[in-house]
Amino acid sequence: MAELDVGLLEALEERSREHPVPAVDGVVLFDVRCADNVDKWYVTMEKGIVTVARKGGEPDCVLTGGCATFDAVLSGRANVMAALLRGAFSAQGRIILLSALQQLFPGSPDAADLPAASYAERQS
Amino acid sequence: MSAAVKILDGNTFVVSDDNGDIEASLTDPTGLFSFDTRFLSRWILTIDGQRLNPLSVDDLQYFETRFFLVPGTGTVYIDAKLSVIRQRAVGGGFHEELTILNHDDKPVDLTVRVEAACDFADLFEVKDALKKQGAYYTSVDDGRLVLGYRRETYVRETWISATEACTVDEGGLTFVVHVEPQQKWATDLHVAIGRDASGTTSGQPKYERPAKKQARTTMELSLEKWLGDAPILDCDSDSLKRTYQRSLVDLAALRFSPVMLPGHYLPAAGLPWFMTMFGRDSVFTSLQALPFAPELARTTLVALGLWQGSRHDDFRDEDPGRILHEMRFGEMTAFEERPHSPYYGSVDATPLYVVLLDEYERWTGDAKLVRSLERQARAALAWIDDYADLQGNGYIAYQRRNEKTGLENQCWKDSWDSISYRDGRLPGFPRATCELQGYAYDAKVRGARLARLVWQDPAYADRLEKEAADLKRRFNRDFWVEDGQYFAIALEPDGSKVDALASNNGHLLWSGIVDKSKAKAVARHLMSPAMYSGWGVRTLAEGQGRYNPIGYHVGTIWPYDNSFIAWGLRRYGFKEEAARIAAGILDAAEFFEGRLPEAFGGYERELTKYPVQYPTSCSPQAWSTGAPLLFLRTMLGLEPIGEHLIVDPALPQGIGRLELLDIPGRWGRLDAFGRSRVDVGSRPRSRSQLGVLKPAKKSKGKAAE
Repeated sequence: MAELDVGLLEALEERSREHPVPAVDGVVLFDVRCADNVDKWYVTMEKGIVTVARKGGEPDCVLTGGCATFDAVLSGRANVMAALLRGAFSAQGRIILLSALQQLFPGSPDAADLPAASYAERQS
Repeated sequence: MSAAVKILDGNTFVVSDDNGDIEASLTDPTGLFSFDTRFLSRWILTIDGQRLNPLSVDDLQYFETRFFLVPGTGTVYIDAKLSVIRQRAVGGGFHEELTILNHDDKPVDLTVRVEAACDFADLFEVKDALKKQGAYYTSVDDGRLVLGYRRETYVRETWISATEACTVDEGGLTFVVHVEPQQKWATDLHVAIGRDASGTTSGQPKYERPAKKQARTTMELSLEKWLGDAPILDCDSDSLKRTYQRSLVDLAALRFSPVMLPGHYLPAAGLPWFMTMFGRDSVFTSLQALPFAPELARTTLVALGLWQGSRHDDFRDEDPGRILHEMRFGEMTAFEERPHSPYYGSVDATPLYVVLLDEYERWTGDAKLVRSLERQARAALAWIDDYADLQGNGYIAYQRRNEKTGLENQCWKDSWDSISYRDGRLPGFPRATCELQGYAYDAKVRGARLARLVWQDPAYADRLEKEAADLKRRFNRDFWVEDGQYFAIALEPDGSKVDALASNNGHLLWSGIVDKSKAKAVARHLMSPAMYSGWGVRTLAEGQGRYNPIGYHVGTIWPYDNSFIAWGLRRYGFKEEAARIAAGILDAAEFFEGRLPEAFGGYERELTKYPVQYPTSCSPQAWSTGAPLLFLRTMLGLEPIGEHLIVDPALPQGIGRLELLDIPGRWGRLDAFGRSRVDVGSRPRSRSQLGVLKPAKKSKGKAAE
């Protein structure tokens, strides 16, 4: 994989505006190891809202992994915690930021879309 | 294997036989475990080729033990000219001081060998006897033995080294030892978790002394601080004092620091299978321990909030707002062969999360945390209505979506036969068990209080209160078993009442969902001979189709269950009944040297005279460890009201005086006193046949000087 699909990162920003992550502020650096290069993305979390940029200051947490792993996790085909345990990702620094950020990673594309109307809504 | 000796620190623990050796098989939970992985499965000490015999084992601390050994087998130890001491401490692996004493008047030359190997089994593999898919390797690297396992990018290593000169080969360490008469020889052995999920570790052991001059280790200091911060118990029952001390130490042992919150602790569920974060267990234990160690609740709330569900994931039974059931770190989780990264298949943890948040605020006054977790609490409350109403009737229910490796029963009674009709039939799914409705009700009531007082959203508070009132009204109609005068254990999707009589009724009292007019009948059932054995309330009443006094959730007595039942009885004013339950379980604790097991047999007290331990129960287990703490709260009638701590004691007959000093809370530190009016001079040795005294006068907590 040559580089990470920017759309997957933009989707993080979008989801955070809809569903802010737990309010832990800081910067996570995605250190993406692609075929020929290292792709770096600075993911800033501020008051639950995420912004993604090519450049940034000193990160609080660094997440390192292959392009394919990032792609799988950011598109819901793999789980971030399992990837960390497997050694496909490594994380350094304030892991609490990653714990908060993972709430924005999408679920499996195969998952049933469940939500039925709530009881209260059905009654009204 | 001979008797298991366990030492632990958070989710790292060592289980060995009573001479300190480890000889694990794939199905045997012995070895050094950390983060759900076995890092040492063979550890055998020999002297001149001979195994050693145990003379005694001293449990120094929960993280440290000492084995006194002699060479030879059988009865020859009387002639032994040598003795051997293995002193072992766990923490980031383990450390062993090996000392050989020569008692003879001649020097001796010995070959000392420590054999080591590791299967790197995932705890799930140990439980289910599964085979490994990766490859093992061993190497000798700079005088250090490296045991390793690799499967793709998954790598785990154990590093073994010694401070004295030795020959290291791929099967262990060999020392050629000369000991002069009446002298000793010693070496330190280090078994370090070399590589784990975080990559190569520092290998810095926790048990080391922070400074050379300091007498106590970091872990000793941590335990000392923990015990020093807890309230002081003084009473005229030595047994209760022992149980209290045991509970505090065991709770310290079960503390677990999540990777994302270093330096902060929440309770892990229990040894050996459950040394990890569980939503339900962590919340219940934190509730029990609130008046004693509120920090546990705080960390539990923050950690569970961080991992709150945010998407639909069928494999993990995850929904937005749902609180996790169980987090695991082993190989099968890493390769998504098990869903525990984390798994969300618990239906009670989510409402209980809101209950804990409110109770935490009531005790500590920490509105800042409640504000910071507002979004999580709202999401949890929304989950109850939006995702848990699987029967479509406004009741919270469960049915797993992961049918292969998910949990079938997602309430605390999670065994296959725990939910049944009176005649033993099993209901279908989704199942709406009764206690869940109580938790949902309580969550809404408490959520409303927080919305009004902290989140400044009176409209939301009104809505939650209205929903709670509606739920209570419907519940008392739909779950009530008219011909039995108790609440059905569950409701079927077609509205049928699953009509077994079970201890879940006690949790309903605790939640407050029970109509006052029905409470007396419920309390009478809980204290009836069919339910109350003399030691405690059975999970399922005698006479029900599936009743079995040693059935996991169908007749045994769970100390944790009883602690919440007693709290519920007090809530509805049944002080004497609550005290009787407290007394029975605390009496049972005497037989377990203060360490209550997960469960014990439901046999009639008069029949066995002692509580029969359930064969495979975990011990220590967090919510059993927390039970005596909650009983103390219940017996003293401790209740935070506004800025005050109300003390309203009702003590069992066998306790004449009960004082709990320095109770932490929003008031700073306060003391609570309880005295019964009985002539304690003539009390029986054990509190076996309790009547309960009339409660003492209600008072506010007295400020500590």
